Parts: sequence; C-alpha cells; structure tokens
Amino acid sequence: MIGWILLGTVTLFLLWVIITYNGLISLRNNVQNAWKQIDVQLKRRHDLIPNLVSAVKGMMEFEQDTLEKVISARAKAVSSAGAREKAGAENMLTETLGKLFAVMENYPDLKSNVNIMQLQEELTSTENKISFSRQLYNDLVANYRIRQEVFPNTIIAFVFGGFRKEEYFEASTADRAVPVVDASIRKSHA
Amino acid sequence: MSITFIDIERQKSWRIIIFFSVLFILYFVISFVMAVSFYQLFPVGFSSMKIFSPGSPSLIVVLISSVIIASIHFCLSSLNAVTYLKKNLPALAPDTEDEIHKQLINIVDEIQVASERKINIQCLVIPSLSVNAMSAVDLKGNAIIAITEGLLSRLSRAQLETVIAHEAYHILSGDCLETTIAASLFGIPSAGIEKVSAVSEGRMFLVPAFLIAWLLVKISCLLNMFISREREYRADAGAVRMTRNPLALAEVLYMLSHRWKGIGHIGVGIEMLCIMNTSDSILDESDGWFADLMSTHPPVNKRIKILLQMAHTGISALTGQMNGDENKKLNKKPSNMFYAIDNKYQWQGPFTMMELAVLPWLSADTWISNNGDAPAKASQIQLSGILLKRRFASDAEAASGYLCPSCRNPLIVKTYEKTKIYQCRFCGGSLVDDVKLPRIIVRKDVKYSERIYGLSRTTLSENQLKILARNNNNPAKLNMNYIYCPKCKSRMNRTFYSMAYLVELDRCSYCGISWFENDELEILQCMIDNRMASTPLPLPDVVYFPSP
Repeated sequence: MIGWILLGTVTLFLLWVIITYNGLISLRNNVQNAWKQIDVQLKRRHDLIPNLVSAVKGMMEFEQDTLEKVISARAKAVSSAGAREKAGAENMLTETLGKLFAVMENYPDLKSNVNIMQLQEELTSTENKISFSRQLYNDLVANYRIRQEVFPNTIIAFVFGGFRKEEYFEASTADRAVPVVDASIRKSHA
Repeated sequence: MSITFIDIERQKSWRIIIFFSVLFILYFVISFVMAVSFYQLFPVGFSSMKIFSPGSPSLIVVLISSVIIASIHFCLSSLNAVTYLKKNLPALAPDTEDEIHKQLINIVDEIQVASERKINIQCLVIPSLSVNAMSAVDLKGNAIIAITEGLLSRLSRAQLETVIAHEAYHILSGDCLETTIAASLFGIPSAGIEKVSAVSEGRMFLVPAFLIAWLLVKISCLLNMFISREREYRADAGAVRMTRNPLALAEVLYMLSHRWKGIGHIGVGIEMLCIMNTSDSILDESDGWFADLMSTHPPVNKRIKILLQMAHTGISALTGQMNGDENKKLNKKPSNMFYAIDNKYQWQGPFTMMELAVLPWLSADTWISNNGDAPAKASQIQLSGILLKRRFASDAEAASGYLCPSCRNPLIVKTYEKTKIYQCRFCGGSLVDDVKLPRIIVRKDVKYSERIYGLSRTTLSENQLKILARNNNNPAKLNMNYIYCPKCKSRMNRTFYSMAYLVELDRCSYCGISWFENDELEILQCMIDNRMASTPLPLPDVVYFPSP
C-alpha cells in the first residue's frame, strides 16, 4: 500500500516537473519568436532610411546636420547587438527620424513629391509595427519572467538551467511625452 | 464589472443557440399553420386536431422538416455571411494606386501585428459618402473590416488606426461572430423586404413568403435586445490596449457624434455591425435598463468620457480645439490671385495659378495681372515659365492613352484629391471613374475660390430650369450635344449627378466613367460641401444617375 502511494507521489512529481519545464521552454521560444518579429521590422526600417535620406537630400540643403544624425544613428543601430544595446540605439534612431519628419514639415516641396510621401508613409507604418511588436515582446517577457520566478518553478529553472532573464525592450523618452489633442477634420494627410 | 474572455466565449455560444432556436420556432409555427390549413381545405377523413396530437406522424414530419429548413437557412447565411455582406454593401478591395487606400492597407497590417496575427483580416472600402466603419466575421473564418470613403478621408492616420483597432477587437474577441450571424439571418433579408414593401405599397402582405420575411424583420428588431451595449465599451478598451492612444479614438467619436451622426445610410439590418448607429436615435444617448435593452450602441458621450479618463484629460480640450479650428477656417482667404484678359478683351478672374494654367484661351500673348498689379504679357511675367511648363510639358505627366471627348487633345493622368483621374490640359475637363467619385467629394485638399462658389450657385439655378424643360418634354429647349466615351466610343448619357446636386455630367454606363467639363468637378464638390442642394421638384419621367 505504502509502495503504491510512494509510486503515485513520484509519478505526480515527475509529471509536474515535465509540465513546468515544457511550459518554460515554450514561453522561451515565444519570446525569441517575438524578438525575431521586431528584428524583421527593424531591418525593414534600416533599409528604408537610406532611400528617404537620398530622396530628400537635394531639397533640404540647409538641414545636412539633421540628415547626418539620422545616418549615424542608423549605422549605430545596425551594428548593435543584444536587447538592451539595440533598444537604446533604435530609440535614438526613432528620435532622430522624428526630428527629420518635423523638419520636413517646413518644406512644402517635399509634401508634393509623391515618392517622398510614399517613403514617409512606409516608414511611419514600419515604426508603428515596431512599437506594436515591442508591446507584444514586453508582454511575453513579463509573462516569462513571472513563470521563472514564482516559487516552485524557480527550482526547476535553477536545476535545469538555460533560462536567462530576458531584457525588456524599453520605450524611448520621447514616447512618454504627453499627447496633444487634435479634433480637427483633416485637411491634409501628414 | 470585469468580464473575462471565458465569459465572452460562453455568452457567444448560448446566443448562437438562441438564434437557431428562434429560427426553428419560426419555421415550425409557419409549417404547422400551413399543414393545418391544408387539412382544413382538403379533408382526408380525419379531423385536423387528431393529426396533430402529440406523437402523431404528421407532427413529427412537420417538426423534422422545420428543423431541416431552419438548419439549411442557418448554414447558408452564417457560413457565407461575409460574402453576402460584401455583395450587399457593395464593398470593394482598396485601390493600391490611391494614397489613402494604401495607408489603410498599411494600418490594417499594423493592427494585425498588434493582435499577434491571430486572424487574417481583409480590409474593404465602401464607396459611400457616409461616415461609418464595420466589421464582420463568419463561421468559415473570413474576417473583413469595411470602412466608408467618407470616414477614410476625414480621419488622420492615428485616428484611422484606432478605428481599425476597435473593429479588429470586435473580430478577435469573437463578439463580431454573433452579430454577423444575427445580421445575416435576420438583418439582410429584412433589408430586402423593406425595399419590396416600399415598391409594392402593402399589397405583398397577401403572399405567404412575404409574411415570413416580414416576421424576420420584426424579430431582427427584437434581437437587438440580445446584442449588448457592453461590447462597444470593451472594443473601445481593446482598441486603446492595442494602439495606446485613447485620445485619437475620443476624437473620432466626438467628430462622428457632433458632425456626422446619422448621416448616410449603409443598409437596413446591419447597424449592429457598425461603429456608430446609422440612424439617429434618442435611445442611443440615454441610459437605463430600457435603453440598454432596446439600443445596440451605448451613449457616445459616455464612451468619450471613459476614453478621456484614460488619457487624463477633459472634454474641454476636445471642444476648445474644435471651435478654434472652425474660426480658422472662416478667416481663411485665398491669396495670390490672377486676372487675365480674354479673347473679347474683357478682364476675367480671379483665378488661382492652376486655374490660369488650364484656361483654354490662354496664350503667351495674354495679358495677366497678379493681385491687381500692373498687367504684363504671360510670356514676360516670371510665372510664365511655370505656367507654360504646367501646360505644355508632357514629360512630367503620364499620358493616359485616351483623347479628350470634347476637344480631342490627349488626356493626362493627374493626381487630384490624392487619387488618379484623367484630365485634359487644354479644356480642363476631367474623366473620373465612378467608384472614385465619392472619395473625391469627401476629400478636402482643394480650396474653392470665390469664382467656384459663384459658379456653383449659378449652375444650380440654371440646371433647375433645365429640369423643368425636361419635364415639359420639350427637347428643343435642351440643347443636347452628346459626346462619346474615350474608352469604348459609345455615346455617353447626359445626366445630373443627383436630383439634389444638379451638376451635369456625361456618363458611360458600360465603362462606369463620368466626364466633367472644366470646373464642374469642383462645382460638384463645392455644392455638396456647402449643402447647396436644389429645392425639390416634381419627379420627371427621365431616369437619372443616382447618387452613390
């Protein structure tokens, strides 16, 4: 009788270990997949920026400084590795791009250029996709961290090893700014 | 009260069961009544009461046949609900050459990223001036988000994104499935019935098939009770969670409710799929159990309030911005106007530079004055380079391959209000695809000069006289000179855009394309923008081109 109870307990324990371990593994893969999704969008942004810069270069002679900042921020972002370093470099790039878009508002000629407007729309769309993938990634990382750190799971994570604490992809300071209300009926598509 | 996703799923399944039961009871009652009346009319030796005692074979046959009919009806309408809707609206796939439609495609893609690409959503555009958006999903898993040209062109990018997110949340949370099924079971047939009854003036009530359908209409009204208002609040919250932009959604709701509420009619029986109720109802703006029961949409003001709380701001921020914008619009004056001397040596104007460039009688020798300055010949003033370039350089603008139907010069492809139209550089006429007309009308990039305002008023009063002439069947007064379609060479019909907005256009019904003479497209836009509708006249026998 006692033998049966012991066997039952050991089986249950093993089952719990297997389920918890598998749960952690699938979460880890989800996090990695979400990171790859961000990477795809970041790569697309890196590809689009040189096109935009070369398109506006001729028309924005007095803004060479802003353009150079964008180019150097892009170079830094391309060469960076690791979640934290990458997040920093990409946020820098987002900020300089934001400045470029703001400066572009002062050049009405750019607005009438269909190619540039299309590039700008593509970049805006990519930026949005990056921020949405970032939200998804951060949600998954939070979930993964909690799963690792709650009490019995933490033993399994420790014993089997290989479960790193994934870094969050931090939002830039510009993203935390207070939004401005705009309830006007649109006259132009910025 | 917070509602978990499991609750939502459970509610969804019992609602679908209710829909099926209602359908079954309906068919059962109808076939029972028909069977009883059949036995009454043709007695076969039994009394009809005996046949329908519990357990009798006739009752079982009626029961089984009504289950079968109800199942067929249910499957047919809920499996292909999205296809039916697409045909009924009618909704079109976005035009990849149109800048704003391209933006819509991008935004839908972004929202799919935000929703982890759980479901493939197709975006569609409804060529209508009304302001609304809707989503639908059927049992096959086809999901669509349809948005009217009116709304698409009036929103900024961020605002459009929140609208799409709101609709996408309806699809993802699954509450869209039950509304789609309700709409396709009861709503879409009811729309057809309403059309028929309007034409037949009540005579159709004698036909049994019509009676069934009429019952469906009444039931669809009752079903609104089941469609809870909660889901709109939840979709608002879901949209904010995806886009993290409560302000943009509040702006959209404010605009819709204060300027465009109840404008435009998409279709009967599908209002529960839309972001905003298509008809203006007092119930929508009231609270309490009765309003909760009878109305499909919650009070907009309450929705806006909740959203503004999320953004930590108040309603005054929205209203202040709105009024400031109106004032700015009133103070705006067109600047940099030109006057020119025409062939009869009369000063004409004022023209904008664009208008000047397309004047048919403009040549290098025309005298032009800028804002009342000393006049100079077109070739001498500094602008001549730009003007002539605009007018004569063909390399910058793509040739369309068609000839102008009135002056036989080649038409060029031109971007007008962010979409592509064909224009004649010499006479200034424009050839526009009919599907593009609604979007051109709602977009506001072109500013109207005083001349266009004046022309609009004159055109309206002149064309009212023309309609009277047509009514009196006096073709001599009409002065018709027909033109031929540049695409298919068949004769174009001369019609008015609509009975309210009397702008003449030539329309080819084979190619679905309309020709506007110089300025007429702008006049039409100006008339509709400023609501310069004609006073109602007795309806003529001629069939006019209906407004889309």
